Amino acid sequence: MSGFSSLNTGIRGLSAAQRAMSVAGQNVVNANTEGYSRQRVELATAGTTSSATFFTGGQPVLSGVSVESITRIRDSFLESLRAAAGGRQSALTVEASSLKAAQQLLSEPTSTGLQSTLDAFYSSWHDLSLTPTDDAAGAVVLQRAAAVTDRLHSLAANLSDEWMTTRTALDNIISEANQAASDLAELNAQIQSNVVGGRTANDLIDRRDVLVRELASLVGATAQPGEDGQVSVSVGGVTIVSESQAHELTLSGAPDIDSVSTNPPTVLWNSTAVPVDSGEAAGYLAAIGTDLPDMKTELDGVATALRDAVNNVHQTGYTRTGATGTDFFTGTDASSLEVVPTAPDELAVASASGIVDGSIASAIGDLASDEASSAALSGGTGASELWRQLTTALGVRVQSLESAVAVQDSVVAAADDAVQSSAGVNLDEEMTNMLLYQRAYQASARVITTVDQMLDTLINRTGLVGR
Amino acid sequence: MPVGRITQRSLSDTTLRGLQANLTSLQKLQNELSSGHRISKPSDDPSGTASAMMLSSQKAANAQYLRNIGFANSRLQTTDTTLQALSSQLQSARDLLVQSRNASLNTESMTALSQSVAQIRNEVINLYNTRYLDRPVFGGTVAGSYAVDPSTGTYLGDDQPVMTRISSDSTIRMDVKGTDVGANTVPGVLDQLATNISGTGATDADLTALDTALSQVAQALGDIGARESRVSDADTVVSSHQVDLTERISENVDIDLPETIMNLQTQQVAYQSALGAASRILQRSLVDFLS
Repeated sequence: MSGFSSLNTGIRGLSAAQRAMSVAGQNVVNANTEGYSRQRVELATAGTTSSATFFTGGQPVLSGVSVESITRIRDSFLESLRAAAGGRQSALTVEASSLKAAQQLLSEPTSTGLQSTLDAFYSSWHDLSLTPTDDAAGAVVLQRAAAVTDRLHSLAANLSDEWMTTRTALDNIISEANQAASDLAELNAQIQSNVVGGRTANDLIDRRDVLVRELASLVGATAQPGEDGQVSVSVGGVTIVSESQAHELTLSGAPDIDSVSTNPPTVLWNSTAVPVDSGEAAGYLAAIGTDLPDMKTELDGVATALRDAVNNVHQTGYTRTGATGTDFFTGTDASSLEVVPTAPDELAVASASGIVDGSIASAIGDLASDEASSAALSGGTGASELWRQLTTALGVRVQSLESAVAVQDSVVAAADDAVQSSAGVNLDEEMTNMLLYQRAYQASARVITTVDQMLDTLINRTGLVGR
Repeated sequence: MPVGRITQRSLSDTTLRGLQANLTSLQKLQNELSSGHRISKPSDDPSGTASAMMLSSQKAANAQYLRNIGFANSRLQTTDTTLQALSSQLQSARDLLVQSRNASLNTESMTALSQSVAQIRNEVINLYNTRYLDRPVFGGTVAGSYAVDPSTGTYLGDDQPVMTRISSDSTIRMDVKGTDVGANTVPGVLDQLATNISGTGATDADLTALDTALSQVAQALGDIGARESRVSDADTVVSSHQVDLTERISENVDIDLPETIMNLQTQQVAYQSALGAASRILQRSLVDFLS
């Protein structure tokens, strides 16, 4: 072993410390970068011969320190938990927000909701029953009936609009997911070439993990590690990214709310249905596939119950001119419900022909009570009751989604904490490391100085005896 | 949750989450206070919403019952006044009858008496044709606006009931049958009486017929009185139910002001302490202490 090799040791120490310092610097400046995973320098002693040979003798060769690798610290299990939790959170949040919008449409419990409109309608029949020959009272009945049908029309139209908006949003989500998938496939290729070439791919892997998380949040995708640092991504068991290949998802199915039952909206991959059960896409799918169409069906139920109850009573009556009562309402659902009579003398108010009587008008007014409505429908459920059920059911659904979102938020927060706990940058820790490496640098420099002084002693001051 | 390593990022995330949660609660309370309602959408309290909707529906129905009651009450009062007038007219006719039987009267006086009776007949027919909002009160459900033909005195009514609902479970009859107050007989009786007075003189049969009519009217007056009192009872019951409903809706939907304000105060304190904690924790790191 020569003194010169010790110089070399010192130099290696300097460069290792420098390298470590730059990694610490990288960590500090990226402390707030989205998806950044802290990195750590792995140091190892260099060039130590493990066994002594005849030629080397018993002296081990000490050639300093070397930077073995720069490791990216991120627990992939925690990361996958975080991604899955995020997907679930997105699904719930999106479904909750689209149902909240639907809930606003009902405007209950207020004096402008359908309930009040119905009450006013029934009330006007009672008023008419008091003065059956009064055109003004009859006109009020017709106006109030028109208010009811208008309210039902606008509810149906708004639900339909809400459905269209939601479907468009889902379409956008699918496009975003396709974009993310193709970016991810590209990153996969770059990572592979870096890994194969022996270069570090840490920053690329960080960027790719951000995309994996985004895909989880959009369509509930999950990642499986593959060869050379690549990952493949699948949704509900269907692979959408494998190595550097991305496959496009498409949205197919019903173009409007009325055809959902025969042609449910589906996410397709190459004409195979993809079971999306997490991510924003799942939330939107639930909204346009079941929640909103169910509401529409229930609303139609309210409209037909109203139609049948009022018609059944109205048909038993006679108009002022002695004609038998016709249908009062016509139409098959909330959007097509219309009032048949156009003038007060077409209203069937009397119980017999040729008399001035308001008993049938009074009976229609009595339909305001659930029992009377039910009796008029031979045991069916009345419009007001169905409407209350719809409102309450929606309220319960939104409430339970809201609490599920709150729970999921804390699950995501905990998962975030766990990920941060392993991958996040702690500034105090980095400061300490910087101190450590600064000292290491100083010490290595001192090694060089010391060796230099030793050599100086050897070269310049040796053999001067007797000079 | 035990987390091994805490980083500055996770500290700030946690702080932000806490502040966000505090702000959300503050906003909810602020909403409640500014609207005055505990329930502004169904999801705030689904079952509360259902009760509120049902209660306000009942309130609307009650408001209608009160209108019906008002209508029935006025109609019954009109009938009551008419019957009293009718009774006094019949009484006058009876007085004239008794007077005509005084033997000392000469023919001229008899003619005058007969004319008075004829006058009373016309009055009585007018009373039978009394209308409330264009409907004859003694005509049942007859088409047209007369219970008794003004010229012939024939009864036109059909005695069919005119009902209205005064509460969720009861209805009341607003008319009086014409036949119950002599609308079908009295004009004829008075015609006969006028003829008899100017001719052969009033008979006992005339007197009996008038007495029967008087007692019929008295009976009808009693019946109307009973119905009026039923209507006013219903008015009291429905009105107080209405007050009760208003109170229950308010309990269901409106906020408890003192409680909400207290909650707001508490929430504000929580928010301020969260802000204070954040300002202390997030400021410092090792950097501040290294030279």
